[in-house]
Amino acid sequence: MVILNFTLTPEAASKIHDLLVCLGKFSDTVAIEARRDKFAFTALNSSKSAYAALTLDGKHFFSSYECIPSHGGPDGRFTCSMYTKALLSVFKGRLYDPLGRDGAIDRCEVTVQERADETQCRFIVKMVCNQGVIKTYKLTYEAVEVMHALFDRNVAKNRWSMHASAMKEYTEYFGTKTEMLDIFAGEDGRAVFKSYTEKISNGKEILKHPLVTAVAVNTSDFEEFNVQPGLHIIISVKDFKAIVAHADTLKTSLKAFYSHPTRPLQFSYGCDGLLCEFTLMTSGEYNGATMTPTPAPQIASRANSRAQSAATENRSVRSEMPPPVEPASRRSERRRISGQKRAASPKPQADHESLFVNQEEEDARWEPVDYTNEEETLGWDASADRDAANFPTFRDTGSFSRQETTDSNEGIAPSQRVSQIKGLW
Amino acid sequence: MRFKASIQNITTFTKLTASLNSLGPLAWVKLSDDQVCFTIIPEQGTQVWAALSIDTIFETYTVQSAANNVINLEVPLGPLNRALKSALNATSAQIRLTKKDSMPLLALTIVTTSSSNSYSAFPTGASNDGGLDAPFDDSFGGGNRETIITQEVPVRVLAPDTVAGLHEPQCREPDVHIILPPLLQLKSISDRFTKLALAGARSGPGSTASRTRLEMAANMHGCLKMSIKTDAMSISSVWTDLSNPELDPGQVAGGEIGISEHPSTRMKLLGSADGRSEEGWASVRIDGRDWGKVMSVGRLGGRVIACFCHEHALILYVYLPSDNGEDESVLTVRDLALAFLITPLNN
Repeated sequence: MVILNFTLTPEAASKIHDLLVCLGKFSDTVAIEARRDKFAFTALNSSKSAYAALTLDGKHFFSSYECIPSHGGPDGRFTCSMYTKALLSVFKGRLYDPLGRDGAIDRCEVTVQERADETQCRFIVKMVCNQGVIKTYKLTYEAVEVMHALFDRNVAKNRWSMHASAMKEYTEYFGTKTEMLDIFAGEDGRAVFKSYTEKISNGKEILKHPLVTAVAVNTSDFEEFNVQPGLHIIISVKDFKAIVAHADTLKTSLKAFYSHPTRPLQFSYGCDGLLCEFTLMTSGEYNGATMTPTPAPQIASRANSRAQSAATENRSVRSEMPPPVEPASRRSERRRISGQKRAASPKPQADHESLFVNQEEEDARWEPVDYTNEEETLGWDASADRDAANFPTFRDTGSFSRQETTDSNEGIAPSQRVSQIKGLW
Repeated sequence: MRFKASIQNITTFTKLTASLNSLGPLAWVKLSDDQVCFTIIPEQGTQVWAALSIDTIFETYTVQSAANNVINLEVPLGPLNRALKSALNATSAQIRLTKKDSMPLLALTIVTTSSSNSYSAFPTGASNDGGLDAPFDDSFGGGNRETIITQEVPVRVLAPDTVAGLHEPQCREPDVHIILPPLLQLKSISDRFTKLALAGARSGPGSTASRTRLEMAANMHGCLKMSIKTDAMSISSVWTDLSNPELDPGQVAGGEIGISEHPSTRMKLLGSADGRSEEGWASVRIDGRDWGKVMSVGRLGGRVIACFCHEHALILYVYLPSDNGEDESVLTVRDLALAFLITPLNN
């Protein structure tokens, strides 16, 4: 029997929305792990190539937080797993709105109901809105064991950090359908972020090859840049974009830690009691250049001391199991397949996060209309529901029989609802 | 084979590729000493023949090849447009033809400088214009960030004899030529018409008629009529007071006599300026969706002349706005940038 109650300010609730949007890009389900002093969302993607852990500090993130796990003493935890989409439909966008418009809340209270005297176990979210409206959502969850990916920052001697907004700007140059991102530390004082796709090379298919984009950034523009010159490291560009987009919502700096290709890479950022860590699988050299696993000594020593200090002050126990190490030969293959699979599934929400917005809106007027899109009906009364359309008459108390109307209900819907027209007579 | 140029007018080039991309995914691009031609011939739908003078989009332009310094390329418009978009606020942008792993590609090299406190890859409505924000730069980690972006667009190089047979189709002299009203207005109305027609078509039994028949008509008295008819309805919009440009005797075969015998001269005798007369209309039935795609060219902001050959063809000529302050009322062949050959529907 666990006790888990916490309260969120509107700002914190909207941060939960943002992080769920980000986690949704990795996995359909999100795991929750609550401890006495902190709360974490974790997600592992289906190919197990990316692991995300977003830790919310009990004291700083929440306006109140109480968690007493049923067993395990001070180290005990409560874990469960939920559909990301289900949580997202509760933690909608615009929960925080200083003007108090539609959707804005006053606070958010969450409790977990897991008691022997209750028939149902539920994750209960209460959105206390303005004007005394309270929306209560009861979500089901699945009890699971939560695994953690282990990442040893002492070994990750290559590190850089940059403001997420700048990094977001760079990701916007990337073509839309690319799969891989090669992060390359040049020897000329530049770091190159290159998005590309493995070759499809036969005849006409060449032209379908997505854009290859390389963004060269002066290392002096980084807040910190300590990477062995000449080192290439490859991750999934989609993962990177998702991480950068989320980091950008927090307006913080994105830090990267890695050792060498085929070893995990970690991105880390956070503020105001929220710490985000993404551990990603990396793959080998693009263009097959040889690489030396040992970094230059002076960088190593500096990075080392930094890492140790970071590790000591850093979070507590990480005793759990790392994800299984895959054979290197299979890794890139799998990555590619999963990339394609994900690309196939429509992700409409990716669009409105882009900074293209203004440009696109301007452009959209000139785009040919997609008539197959059912959502976009005629300019007037797009919300006409089927029921209204079933009445061929202008009177609510239509004297026509239903029989007759079913034949004609496939015609063009009336341009206004009857109720709206009433005032005219 | 060498092609290298710096892009002088990124906005125009971007809008051009975006407009063309609505009509077909691939364009044939012909680079020669004096012009750049874009041709799109989709399997069905509207053909586009565009010929731009070099300085419309490029400067410091070099093209060299064994075939009379002409290079023919097949270019995917989507990626090209995407690549050009990333150059929208560039300080400089270069394009060149190159090879990587024996695959030809157009490489765009874009240099952008963004001040440290404006983090946005693309110009937004309220973009800060450097000068005003300069004082803040130093407080934020030392001035401007210079970024070099390389975009590689895969292309196919076409042999001269592959494209030898490509010629812009000839059409008889038009019955009516007219300057179209603002395309955004025209587009929003035609889009609505098409939607209505489709909504009607969906309900019909065995609704496979995916084509919507838009009837375009114009007379020599400044009227344009757009109408759509289905079993259930008939709607039309009429524009009046448009202008029918005068023909230039120098451009018409036969000079003054040619003009007096020109079909449009005869059409002038028929019809009226209020658009109510049944006579004097040259009309063409086209697919509403095709039309919607063509209207996408409006983003270039040029003037558009529609030439109607009654029940035979509709051709739109787009004249790009020139910034050299010439008299806008005279449109010369030199200003002509794009020709859209809209396929009429049979019967």
